[in-house]
Amino acid sequence: MSVATKITRRDFLRQTGVGTGALVFGCYISPKGLFAEDIFHQSVALNSFVRIEPLHGTIIIMANRSEMGQGIRSSLAAVLADELEADWSRVEVRQADAEADKYVVPNPVPGAHPTFLISDEGSQFADSSRSMAAYYLPMRLFGAGIRVVLVGAAARVFGIDPAQCEARQHKVWRKDGKGIVRSLDYGDPLLLLAAKKVAAPTPDEARAALKPSKQWNFIGKEMPFVDVRDMVTGKAGYGADADPGRPGMLTAMIVRCPVANGTVKNFDDKAARAVPGVKDVRKVLPDGFPIVGGVGGAFIPHAGVAVVAENTWAALQGRRALKVEWDLTQSPAAIANAKYESKAYRKELEASTASAGNKLRSRGDVDAAFALPHQVVEASYYVPHLAQAPMEPPVAVALYENGRWEIWCPTQGPDVAQHYVGLAMLYPKDPVAWLVWQVSELTEVKPWEQAAQQSFNEQLGKMLGLDQTALFKRRDELKQEVRDKVKVHVTLLGGGFGRKSKPDYAVEAAFLATQQPGVPIRVQWTREDDIQFSYYNAVNHQYLKAAIDAGGKATALLQRSAFTSFFATLFPPADPRLPTAANETFRLARAAFHSGGEYPFGSGIELGQGLEDMPFDLENLRLENCAAPSHIRVGWMRSVANIYHAFSICSFADELAIAAGRDGKDYLLELIGKGRILDLATLKAEGLENFDNNQFPVDPLMAQLSSGKSVQVLPGYPPDTGRLRAVVERVAQAAGWDEKVKQYKQQPKGRGLGIAAHRSFLAYVAMVIDASLADNVLTIHEIHAAIDCGIAVNPDRVRRRWRGASSMA
Amino acid sequence: MPWFQLRVNGSLHNVNVDANMPLLWVLRDVLKLKGTKFGCGVAQCGACTVHLNGRAVRSCATPAGLASGSEITTIEGLSPDGSHPVQKAWIELGVPQCGYCQPGQIMSASALLAANPQPDDEQIDSAMSGNICRCGTYPRIRAAIHKAAESKAS
Repeated sequence: MSVATKITRRDFLRQTGVGTGALVFGCYISPKGLFAEDIFHQSVALNSFVRIEPLHGTIIIMANRSEMGQGIRSSLAAVLADELEADWSRVEVRQADAEADKYVVPNPVPGAHPTFLISDEGSQFADSSRSMAAYYLPMRLFGAGIRVVLVGAAARVFGIDPAQCEARQHKVWRKDGKGIVRSLDYGDPLLLLAAKKVAAPTPDEARAALKPSKQWNFIGKEMPFVDVRDMVTGKAGYGADADPGRPGMLTAMIVRCPVANGTVKNFDDKAARAVPGVKDVRKVLPDGFPIVGGVGGAFIPHAGVAVVAENTWAALQGRRALKVEWDLTQSPAAIANAKYESKAYRKELEASTASAGNKLRSRGDVDAAFALPHQVVEASYYVPHLAQAPMEPPVAVALYENGRWEIWCPTQGPDVAQHYVGLAMLYPKDPVAWLVWQVSELTEVKPWEQAAQQSFNEQLGKMLGLDQTALFKRRDELKQEVRDKVKVHVTLLGGGFGRKSKPDYAVEAAFLATQQPGVPIRVQWTREDDIQFSYYNAVNHQYLKAAIDAGGKATALLQRSAFTSFFATLFPPADPRLPTAANETFRLARAAFHSGGEYPFGSGIELGQGLEDMPFDLENLRLENCAAPSHIRVGWMRSVANIYHAFSICSFADELAIAAGRDGKDYLLELIGKGRILDLATLKAEGLENFDNNQFPVDPLMAQLSSGKSVQVLPGYPPDTGRLRAVVERVAQAAGWDEKVKQYKQQPKGRGLGIAAHRSFLAYVAMVIDASLADNVLTIHEIHAAIDCGIAVNPDRVRRRWRGASSMA
Repeated sequence: MPWFQLRVNGSLHNVNVDANMPLLWVLRDVLKLKGTKFGCGVAQCGACTVHLNGRAVRSCATPAGLASGSEITTIEGLSPDGSHPVQKAWIELGVPQCGYCQPGQIMSASALLAANPQPDDEQIDSAMSGNICRCGTYPRIRAAIHKAAESKAS
């Protein structure tokens, strides 16, 4: 981050946007002569994201996000290309390596906090359904800004005013149509040379140049995606297909400790080594590897023993023959984790939600309402651990040579992989390095994280005997060292769904490669490995209770949610073996990191996913979070905490409708109430200090709807129940709800409709399912869905993902 | 280890591996044909589907020794340039999402159409039921198979 943190908003276009013409073009076009060699042989960088190939004019757009089926490689490029007036058939998308100093984008919103759109390694981290939401505006500004530069350059060549030129279809045209040369292609060397004399537009000038929506060529259109041909011919490169271009690549299969935080006691590799093709058997983690995280050690792999072989089959055979004995007594975490049993744990969660938890939001007095002689409805909901199970099991290729590591892997977080590989390789015995990495400028974190961040910075400085300047210097050097020594190449992901945001498999490959310099090593997981060593979506138990008055109106709701937080995986609970100062440092690091909260409770960004932003308009309401200690690695899957919160509250709404003798859809609309915004002041008045659903400050432009209307987005993304109502009404209409309900009532029991509505991250969704149950067989006849996600850059892709997600569920 | 011959996509290869090694790993690790994917290793997901004498088989559970003497076709050999009607239909309808299972889906679909040029929905569902797609592209797969069937017929 050392480079990127120094960027100010003034540098928005220069660093990551359009260059100040002279500066950026000047770096790449030799001023020595008009037809310098490099113009013809090298692409010209217009900024970190865009290059032009001189002469044939191919525009190369870097994808800084990982492709896992969401179509982001195509969609973000299309947004930029649209503003740039590029010809899509002359656009090429290339996948970016982990390079935070190139891809951290300063926030284009004036006065926004944090000052970076998504700071540090989050800048390339495809998570939280925010790749498009975050980068939509920057991509448009980059495209428009570069177009302004090219128009200015053409004006110089033509010798006319830029206002007399326009960019269209990969060319800049004279509006008057005069002269021998009426247009200049984007690849024209004359144009590119002239561009170096053009001053780059300021962000405001780029913004003023944004195309009105009716002139969009690609945004909102059904765009083909760039990878489809490779995908259907077998040429698309996924993790296991990576070829470092070295002979002798070896394949490793690993026997992993079934218990998080367990260690290897000993192993018998005699039979494994006897398998033809097996080259070596060795431990994955070095002895004495420190505690660097919580349950399972953050994104560090489980302890294990690897069988390294000439090919996958030999590695598999060797692994079958390997005998490993585990030590589950070396830490309090391992002892507790070894006892973990999910059936018994379910009872623990039930007990946790049986009494009051941490109060998150409250209005009125639910207890008083429950004391009235009203009908009371209670229900419990349980969602087990969910494994993401992407079609492509985890896999990574690593090569170690001359003190540097090169990784090829399918990862949602290229720079997260870089961070973990770097620290694990360079500082295997030094837990302090892991803490130094968490040091952060206050401008990089959300306003409500600043106090905890500052305390953490100070506490850590004190612990290390460093003043703040020295501490930041140490952090910068550490990050630079990791970035210099670890290169991460991103392949296509054969599905991610959250699993591939954790780079434990890349760290395994790096550990093994370190022991054999110059030889690429591929760690291949099996399907069984993938299911057993997932970072499971949290196990969750909820208790809900509501009161319904004589008129059938719901008057009170109590909702208690207990889930295993993924912050328990990232940061350790207090460990009696550590000094108080160290425990305190960990506690502060956790609190500062994405509203991490207190162990064993949920973090802000989990609570903000469908619990704290509960939209129902009830006189009396209390939302609570109950304790849930973790004994297994927890991660996230697709919509994360929205999964279990939407499941419970939408199911419960239906229970209430039945209890009140009302129609499910009508009752849901009544619960949501009239359209209103649950703004931060309202939430605060109800006891919610900070609402954080892991998004970022946004520009009002973001909320332009596909209908052409705009809605203003308020700080913190408060829920808009009007938009939620609208999707409910829309889906009910599409499903023919009212008619079908009448129809099914006249038929024998067994067929019916269900409806649910939820806001997941920033999208409002509602679904109707038409299902029947006969002879214990559930048949789903139809699914209808309505989604309001703001602008759908590629509506067909949204439709497809939505259909696919319905199949998955 | 014995040497034996495999005919893959029309070319003859001499390989020297354990005859029990599944065909999948011979294709991927030895012949470097990486279009065929590993998903489960136990013939439950279909990502590794190839043709053996025109019939769809799961290469992860087919010992290489048994495939010797058969005509093996992988996704790389289905057409020289992605012009097989099934591939064209897949592109036209934009079937893939992450794309990982699609070579297997396409091999199953092309084997189905070779045997049954005009399958109905039920026949498609039955022939394709062994091919899992975690992204859930099933409705488009079915539509694309119909489309390929139409284009073959016309």
